[in-house]
Amino acid sequence: MGRSSAGYDELIKRYLEEEAEAKEIRRRYADWDFIRRQPLRVRAALEYYVETGDIRRACLIAGMDLEDFRELLRKANVPVVV
Amino acid sequence: MSVREPEFAIADSCFLIDWARFRHRDVLFKLFRTVFVPEAVLREVKSESTLAWIASNLAKGHLALYTETSEVISEATDIVEDSRRTQHLVAVELPEAICLVVGRRRGYVVLTENRGLILYSRTSSKYEDVVIWRALEIIAMAILRRFLRVDCNDLEARFREYEEDTKHLFPRRDLARVVGILGSELCGLR
Repeated sequence: MGRSSAGYDELIKRYLEEEAEAKEIRRRYADWDFIRRQPLRVRAALEYYVETGDIRRACLIAGMDLEDFRELLRKANVPVVV
Repeated sequence: MSVREPEFAIADSCFLIDWARFRHRDVLFKLFRTVFVPEAVLREVKSESTLAWIASNLAKGHLALYTETSEVISEATDIVEDSRRTQHLVAVELPEAICLVVGRRRGYVVLTENRGLILYSRTSSKYEDVVIWRALEIIAMAILRRFLRVDCNDLEARFREYEEDTKHLFPRRDLARVVGILGSELCGLR
């Protein structure tokens, strides 16, 4: 990517700290009863999103398009933290 | 955060899908003369309400379609591949990669809520100078330029409205930093 290794490592470290905070927020806000009631594939995608914040891969797991999955996150009370 | 006035922006799907729900969404067009929407992004928008907002603003000339060339797609494909090779954290897909490429080539502000794209741009020397705004920066800029009104006793109000309308949460540290800047610039707070 053309950056010094130290600079890259520092950015990744900061990103991981921010992501840890975001994950904690997603876990805390999530409506786990709603998530557990979903079909297995959708439930797996929601749990994946809560853990990673990666909406693109979560859509693939759910077999849903981006906008439908974003709406599902709202129903599951999982915030997008960005 | 500078108050320089960029004229053009390019928006990705994650941004548009949330922003279209914001009660003050049209303030975007006071900040930018034109906001481009790549065709690949438009193809991802499905809901009637979001499409109606986009269509109405395409008709008014506030939004414009960006037809990506084969050169842009080729560079964007390199970003997708590079992100998968070097960045195991959050995926970058073609629609948002196209925005980053166009942002660099044309000097447009990239509007995104995609964590993968933000991380990729920060860690890539080729794209680190591309200006990326999330809803957080857009709302802050609209307040700084007085397109959105605020009460100095409640500087977070407009941000809270966005969070209520979209079920999006701003990282508290980033929000506190931005509110600090607004308080200092607009209300003389230290």
